[in-house]
Amino acid sequence: MLSSLIKYSFRKFKVSETKRHELNYLFWECTTRCNLNCLHCGSDCSKNSVNKDMPAEDFFEAIDTIKRIPQNFTVVFTGGEPLLRKDLELCGKELRRRGFKWSMVSNGHLYDKERHISLLNAGIGALTISLDGLKESHNWLRNNEKSFDKVMNAVQLAASSNRLNFDIVTCVNQRNINELEQIKKLLISKNVKAWRLFTIIPIGRAVHNPELLLTDNQLVQLMDFIAACRKSKEIDIKFSCEGYVGKYEPLVRDSFFFCRAGINIGSILIDGSISACPNIARSFSQGNIYKDNFYSVWDNKFQPFRNRDWTRIGQCKTCKDFKDCQGNGLHNWHGEKNNVLVCHKEKIETATYREHR
Amino acid sequence: MKRNVIRQIVGGLSLTSAMFVFQACYGTPQDFGLDLLIEGQVKSKTSGLPIKGIKVSVADNMQYTWTNEEGEFSFYTEMLEELTLRFQDVDSIKNGLHVDKDTVLTDLSKDIYLDIVLEEK
Ligand code: SF4
Ligand code: SF4
Repeated sequence: MLSSLIKYSFRKFKVSETKRHELNYLFWECTTRCNLNCLHCGSDCSKNSVNKDMPAEDFFEAIDTIKRIPQNFTVVFTGGEPLLRKDLELCGKELRRRGFKWSMVSNGHLYDKERHISLLNAGIGALTISLDGLKESHNWLRNNEKSFDKVMNAVQLAASSNRLNFDIVTCVNQRNINELEQIKKLLISKNVKAWRLFTIIPIGRAVHNPELLLTDNQLVQLMDFIAACRKSKEIDIKFSCEGYVGKYEPLVRDSFFFCRAGINIGSILIDGSISACPNIARSFSQGNIYKDNFYSVWDNKFQPFRNRDWTRIGQCKTCKDFKDCQGNGLHNWHGEKNNVLVCHKEKIETATYREHR
Repeated sequence: MKRNVIRQIVGGLSLTSAMFVFQACYGTPQDFGLDLLIEGQVKSKTSGLPIKGIKVSVADNMQYTWTNEEGEFSFYTEMLEELTLRFQDVDSIKNGLHVDKDTVLTDLSKDIYLDIVLEEK
C-alpha cells in the first residue's frame, strides 16, 4: 500500500519536474580528443579527432542566453578527455565569475598534482574519475598498461581534497564483475566516499566485443551486489541512472528510476549541437548554438525528451511497467528507434541467477 | 510556487532527502561544497611596486599559486574556519629578495581581497 503510494507520488513528481524542466546540469563536450583508446569507446563517449575543440567564447556566448540561473546549475566538462584542453582552468574560472559551478569527468591519465591544484584554484567543485577494475582488467578496458597506476594517483589526489565532491565510476563488464568486492575494498582503502556503477550498451566498439556486455545473470549479480553494499553503508554506492531495474527499484539508487535527459540535463556538444546526455544518439539534437538561441531551444523544444509517449513502440508498447520506466534511459534509443536497445527489467526477469537471493 | 510545493512534498515522500541530487550516468556528482575566492596584490614595502613570482600558498592544504606581473593572485579554496596564507619569495634574486610572510584569515564567509606588503631582505 505504502509502496504504491510512493510510486504514484513519484510518477506525479516526474510529471511536475518535466513541466518545470529546470536546467540544472549542462554537459559541455569541450573536446573529442582523447589520450586513451578504450575498448568501449563509442558506447559511452565520443572520440573523434576530426572535430576541433569548441572555442570557449562560443560556449560562453551560448550559455549567456540562460535567463534564469537555477540554484544548483552545474556545467560538467566532458569529452574526449577534458584535461587535454589547455584553457580548461580559464574556462572554469570564467564560469565561476558568472556565478556557475563546474565539474569534470576524466579518465584520470593526466590528473597529476599540478593539475589537481590548478583545477582547485579555478574553482572546480566536483569530479568523476573512471576506474574499471583491478589493475589487469582496468588496463585491458582502457587499452593502456599505465592507466591503472595513473588513475590510482589521481584518486589519491582527489580523495585528499575536502573541497571536491568526488566519485568513481566503474563500467561493469565480464572481466571485472567478479572483482567488485575487491574494487570496493580498494576504494575504501583510498578514502573514496562514492562509487557509481554502470553497464555498457551494445553500440560503438562494444557491439563486436561481447566481453564488454553483461549477461542477464551478471546484471542480477550486479544488482544484488549494489543492494547488499547499500545496506552495509561502507561506501556510498549506486547503480547509474541508465535504466529501470524493475524489482530492484529503488534498492540500488537513492531514488526511483528517472531519466532526466532534456528535463534537467542538457548539453552543448562538440559541433554546437544542443542535446542532453552525450551518450544519447546525435539524431536527438534539438538545435545548434551556431544558429539558435541556446536557452530558447532548451525552454521551447526538447519535446521527444519531455513527452516519452513515442517510446511506446516495440517491446515497450505493451509493457505493464511503462509508467515507471517510460522506455528506459533515452541513451538506449538508437538507429531507427523502433525498439529499446536494452531493457534492464527484461534482463533481470530472464536471469536464472539466484545465488544471493 | 505550486510546483515548488509539489517538489517539497514528493521529495519528503522519497526514500532520501537527496531527491534532487541526481547525476547522469557519465556525469559528475553535484557540487555542494563551499569555497571562496581569495584575490589580492603583493607589493614591495620599499619601492611600493608590485612583486612578480611570489608563491602564495595555503598552509592547510596543497594549494598554491603565483603572483603575476602586476603582483596579483587569485584562486578558489575551501571555506575553513581559519586559514593561513603563506607568501614566499622562492625565486632567489629574480624580482628582488623579500622576507616571507604568513597571514591568518579568520572571516572566511565571503570572498576576500588582500593587499600584502613584503619587506625587502
Ligand atoms: S519494455 Fe520498455 S518500458 Fe518496459 S521495462 Fe523494458 S524498457 Fe521499460
Ligand atoms: S539518457 Fe537518461 S538514463 Fe541515459 S545517461 Fe542520460 S539521464 Fe541517464
